[in-house]
Parts: sequence; structure tokens; C-alpha cells
Amino acid sequence: MEIPAIATEGLTRRFGDLVAVQDVNLRVAAGQFFGFLGPNGAGKSTTIKMLTGLLAPTAGRMQILGLDFETRMVEVKRQIGVVPEGMALFGRLTGSEYLTFVGRMYGLDRETAAKRTGELLEFMQLADQPKKLVTDYSHGMQKKLAMAAAVIHGPKILFLDEPFEGVDAIAAGTLKAMLQRMITRGATIFLTSHVLEIVERLCSHVAIIQRGKLVAQGSLEELRAGVESQVASAGNSSEYASAQKLTLEEIFLHTVGGARTTEQELSWLG
Amino acid sequence: MAGVNDRIVRRTQLGAIARVRWQLFVHSLHTTKGALELFSRIVLSLVITAGGVGGAVGLGSGAWFFVSRGEIYWLAVLLWPVFLFWQFFPVMASAFTETLDTSNLLRFPLDYRSYVVIRLVYGALDPSTVIGSLWLTGIAVGIGLAKPHLFPWAALVLLTFAAVNVLLMQMVFAWVERWLAQRRTREIFAVLFFLIMISFQLIGPLMSRYGSTPSPMLRKFGAGASPIQRVLPPGIAASAIAQMGDGRVAASFVSFGLLGVYGAVVLRVLSVRLGAQYRGENLSEVLRDASPRAQRQAVRPGWQLPGISGPVTAVLEKEFRYLSRSGPMLLTLITPIFMLLIFGLGQGRARPDAGFLQRSPDLGFPAGAAYALLLLTNLIYNNFGGDGGGIQFFLASPVPFRKVLLGKNLAHVAVLALEILVVWIGASILFRPPNISTVIATFAGLLFAVPVNLAVGNVLSLYTPKRIELGSFGRQRASQLTVLISFAVHLVIFGLGAATLLLAHSYRSLWLATAAFLTLALLTLTGYVFVLQRLDRIALARREVLTSELCR
Repeated sequence: MEIPAIATEGLTRRFGDLVAVQDVNLRVAAGQFFGFLGPNGAGKSTTIKMLTGLLAPTAGRMQILGLDFETRMVEVKRQIGVVPEGMALFGRLTGSEYLTFVGRMYGLDRETAAKRTGELLEFMQLADQPKKLVTDYSHGMQKKLAMAAAVIHGPKILFLDEPFEGVDAIAAGTLKAMLQRMITRGATIFLTSHVLEIVERLCSHVAIIQRGKLVAQGSLEELRAGVESQVASAGNSSEYASAQKLTLEEIFLHTVGGARTTEQELSWLG
Repeated sequence: MAGVNDRIVRRTQLGAIARVRWQLFVHSLHTTKGALELFSRIVLSLVITAGGVGGAVGLGSGAWFFVSRGEIYWLAVLLWPVFLFWQFFPVMASAFTETLDTSNLLRFPLDYRSYVVIRLVYGALDPSTVIGSLWLTGIAVGIGLAKPHLFPWAALVLLTFAAVNVLLMQMVFAWVERWLAQRRTREIFAVLFFLIMISFQLIGPLMSRYGSTPSPMLRKFGAGASPIQRVLPPGIAASAIAQMGDGRVAASFVSFGLLGVYGAVVLRVLSVRLGAQYRGENLSEVLRDASPRAQRQAVRPGWQLPGISGPVTAVLEKEFRYLSRSGPMLLTLITPIFMLLIFGLGQGRARPDAGFLQRSPDLGFPAGAAYALLLLTNLIYNNFGGDGGGIQFFLASPVPFRKVLLGKNLAHVAVLALEILVVWIGASILFRPPNISTVIATFAGLLFAVPVNLAVGNVLSLYTPKRIELGSFGRQRASQLTVLISFAVHLVIFGLGAATLLLAHSYRSLWLATAAFLTLALLTLTGYVFVLQRLDRIALARREVLTSELCR
């Protein structure tokens, strides 16, 4: 049996009385492009933080590439790359200083770190302003730099929290090209995103979390089939009659029950 | 009508800001850390108040003495220290000082006047203002006790003097921040600083030479300096009170008016900076460097240091780069030289009222070295403060925290070593080259004191982290709990050091102190290693606090 790239068992995180993530059992096979979706505050970022060691789980187990996270944390961290919510940048370094620093922290020798830094800066179109400090980068440039930092050591798994948020179409294209290249070379990518079109285009498998609980998990086709059969069994086939094939957005809205329309007052808006 | 509406809007906005700050304060009390912060703040406030009240009693007595003897002009002697403290303390003790980050307010429809008022009001809430105000109150009371009819006028003049001080302090802060923000202006500032240092070094020997028998030239200089001090705020304030005491009402009003003019000029110069900030100025390095001329450069490999692993060297290099780009931090690091200059000036060696460094010139080096260590507190006790969101990288990286902190500690020790070298040069020029036994005893003392500071600092960096903005002068304040604990640590270290030196003095052998310090150093070095080995576990347990505090 193949060892999953990511496997969690009863993963739970509480903040006082609030249960942010409850009993999540994830299974991501090696080489998958995995989308982790959910409405705001559903527990996506909390889950990704636990999976990358930024936050301790209250209960449950996590295995990354077959290694127990709790007992072999350093080994796990060597094999993963992370772009967390806050991007984890050091604002008062230049882009190249930051990338060489990251490379060396992941054990690359000086020359390799410098070589890969140069290549990544070129690939991400960040090489034009070598003296610019990271703090002065635009949001999109910072995202690209954070992504470059996450891959400089050639990780086997890449965790990305909202990698396309605030990124323009050109930068998004660059990022997508890099991610697809990584997938073809056998890496596993676990990403959260609110841009469902991108997730639909990139990801082969998806999980949906709502109010801390995993409510759906599988390949896109499996999720689509599940929703269609639910709709059919409820005798409400007209709900998605216009579409030949359900989009991820429709699957998502159906799963989280977010298809309602609101007619609030807000009369002061004019 | 519009004016009335503007006033109402302004009042509403100011009220809203006050309320949100109050709510933030109340919410911070919901955690144990917040409660401890409040406790520390209360203790520190009591210490500050005690210093203020003590100074007020002393200065009040002085004011009473001068005024009751009819020598009211001598009030300037009391007002000058107040003035200098007010202006220099915020720069030299940035761990206590914090100006409100008003950049977040710019998105709101806040008019310029409200913006200025907010900056001035919140900028005035710092220890130097509290202590300075208490001292001036003491002086006013002293004057009132000596000549009750002079009290209302003295109170008015001193109130205006206080306002000038508050404005000038903020002006100095804002402009120094501006000059230190960019490499070009930073270099100009550094050149100016060194020119001032060289000029001070010329004054020192001159004063030593002519101190006991003032030459006509020096007398002329003194005579020339007196009128100069009289046209500066402390001198003008003293004159305004003295002239009223002499019954020269018109002259007194003129002096008071001059003080007001000072306030207005300072406010005008300050408003140039505030105006730029209000317009959303970006004080970054990028603007010059990002010109189209900038060429693509080959990436230089990172540093390589023999015997130190790659990750530790990488952290060390990163720390140096950060420090070299932090103007406020650079300024903090050169203040030991300022201190030596202040103690090195004054009366000549032969005078009986000479300062302790003139009487014991060998103490210049150890005193400067101890002060240099004290100033590193802000860095050592809040290791991750300047990293901000970068803490997430350290948490996600495979490098154990003990290595990260070791890299940071090595960087800070290197900075300290550099500072001590500069202090040695300064002490040698200002006093005399310290003898070898003093140098060795100082190094032995540092070997004992530095590991304690590093070990406690490493632990506190994980327990009470506080995000600071290395590029900004006003946002350097560490956690108040950290400040309180560092006080206690320094008290113990300096107490032990003083006891050791006294013991050595009683046996008339400095080598005894060296031996004692080296023995203590063995213990503290062992303690440092012991603590270092436990930092990974602490960091893992504290990762939530670290990210929530530093990623704000």
C-alpha cells in the first residue's frame, strides 16, 4: 500500500471554547494537487498551520510522507515547503538576501543557495531591483518571493495558504506554471484558495471544511457525482439544470449550503 | 456652521481613537501575559514616578534656594538638566518610549489638524514627559514657596517651557527618524556625528589643560557661552521668571514671548515632518536604489565562518544586515560614546569637583563597557521583535530554535565586541589608555555578565515577545514585563560586580576581581548552555504566542 503524502487522524484544535478544527481525517496521496476549501473561518488556515508545525494540535495525529509529525518534526520540515498566511518574510532583507538565507537554513551550501536564488528571482521576474527591500515589494511580489522561498530546497510537499490572493494575472500565471512543473516532477501540493476557478483548473483532488469539520473529500469527479446524486435523490434536478457539468463553485456552494441569496435592508447605502 | 461641524467630527474622531485604545487595553488584560504586562507597567510607573518625585524635591529645593537668595537667574542651572533629559532620554532609552503609529489612521477622513493633535497628545505620553513635568512642578513649587507672588507667572512660564520640550522632543524624534531611514541621509548623519565627536575630543583636552587656571581664551569662551544659553529655551524660561522677580515686567513678557516663538518655530519644523507623514510618505530605502539604472546583479553567496554551521551563519548574517539597516538601533549602539563624552567633559583633572571618571580615569573603560552591555538589552531580550512575520519562517524551518538563537546571540556578542573596541578607543582618548589589569578584569566581568543576559534574554524572547519596528524610531518599546525582569537581572549583575570589585579593592588587587569574575563566568556559561539546550522545547510550546504577538 502506498504511503500517503499527508494523513491526519482525528486532528483537532481548540481555542478556549471554540473548536476551530474538529476530528479531521485527511488523506492526500503523493503527487496530488490537493485543494483545501472552505468558507471564511472554517478552519483552513488553522489546519495548514498544524500541518506545517506553526500550531500545535489539541488532539489527533499527523503523518507527513509516512513520518509522524510529533516525533520527527525536523525531518518532516526538511521535506516540506510552506507559504503561510503571513508569508513569513523578513522585510528588511533584499529579495536575494532573503532567498539565500532561506536556502542555507534548509541546509543548502552557499553556492547552491546563490545559484538557485538567481534562477528563482529570474523565473519570478523579481531580479530587476536587486537593492529593493522585501518590505517595499508590492503584495504580489511578496507572494512570488514567498513562493520562491518555499521551493528553494526542492520540497516534496508544498503547503500554500491562499497563494493567489492579491496576485495579478501575470504573476498568477507564473505561479501556476511553477506549481504545475512541480506536480509533473512528483511533488505534492496542498493549497487553500478562495479562487475556485483556479482550484478547479489545477487541483485533481479537493476537500471541503466547514465549521471545523471535513464535509467532503475526494477527486473532483467524485465530489461532482456526489452532489449530482444528492440533488437527484432530493428530486430537485432543476437546481443545476442549466449546467451540463457542475462547476467547483456549484459543488462548493451546495456542500457548504451557501447558495442562499440575501435581501438585507442596508437602506443607508443608497 | 462648517466650523462647528468640523469641531464635532474632530471630537468624535478623537473620542473614537481614545475609546479604541482603551478597548485594546482592556482586551489585553484577558490573558495572563496581559495582566503581567499591566503589573510590570505599574511597577515601572512607580519607579518612574519615584524618580520624578525625587528629582522634583531636589530641583524644588534648588529653586527655593536660588529664589530666596535673590539669584533667580540661576534657575537656568536647574532648567538645563531638565531640558537635556527631556530631549535625550527618549533616544537613549527607546525601550521605554513609544510613539503612536499613526499610519493606520490615514485611511480615515481625518483632517490634518486632528492628525497633529493625535500625534502630539499620544506622543507626549512617555516617561520623559512624566518625569520632566514632575521636575518642573517641583521647581514651580520651590519658586512659589520662596516668593509666593511669583508662582502664577513661574507656573505659566514653566508650562510653556514644558510644551516647548514636548514639541522639541517630537521634532527631534521625527527628524532623526527621517535622517536615519535612508542610506544617504544616514551617512550624512554619521559624518555629522563623528565631526561632533572630534570637536568634543578637542574640547576635553583643552578643558583639562586650562581647567585649573582658566586662560583668557577660555574665559572669553565662557563669557560668550553665557549669552548663548540665555537665548535658548531653558535660559529664556529662567530669564522670564527672573525678570518678573526683578519687577521688569515688560522684559519678562518679551522673554515669555520669545519662549512662545520657540514653541511656534519648533511646531512649524515638526509640522513639515507631520505633513509629509499625513500625505502618506514612504521612508524606505527603495526610492533611490530602484532607479532604472539599477542593473541585475549576480547573487552573492552568503557568509562562511569557520567552525560555525551554515544555518547559524545564515542567522548571524541576517542579524547583521538587519542591524545595519536600522537607524534607531545604530544610534542606540553609539550612545556609550556619548556617555563617555558627557562624563569625560566637565572640569579638569586637578579640580576637586572633577567627575569620578576624571578622578579615576581607569574606570572609563569598564563603565563604558557596562553601559554598552546595558544598551544591548533591547536587542538581547527581544530577539524576535524585529523579525515580525518572519517568526513563521523560523517555526516552519527545520533549524532548531537553539541554533537560531545561537546565531542571534553570536551576532549580538559581535556587536558588543565592536562597541567595546570603540569604547576602549574613546576611553583612551578621553581619559588615558586603561591599564592591562583593568582591561582583563573588564573582559572577565563581561564573560560573567554576558551569558546571564543572553540566557535570560533568550527565554524572555520566547515568553514575552513584542513586535518592534526596526526602521522606526518610535516603535521600539519592548514588553514591559521584559523591561522589569531585565532591570532585576541588571541589578543582580551590577550588585555582584560591585561586591566583587569592593572585595578586590579591600585587598588592593584587581586580579582578585578577575579571578572571581572568571569563576562566576564558568557558572554563567554553564547556565547559558543549559538554557540553550532547552529552548527548542520552550519555542514549540510557545509557538502560538510567538506568531500571535509577532505577526500582528
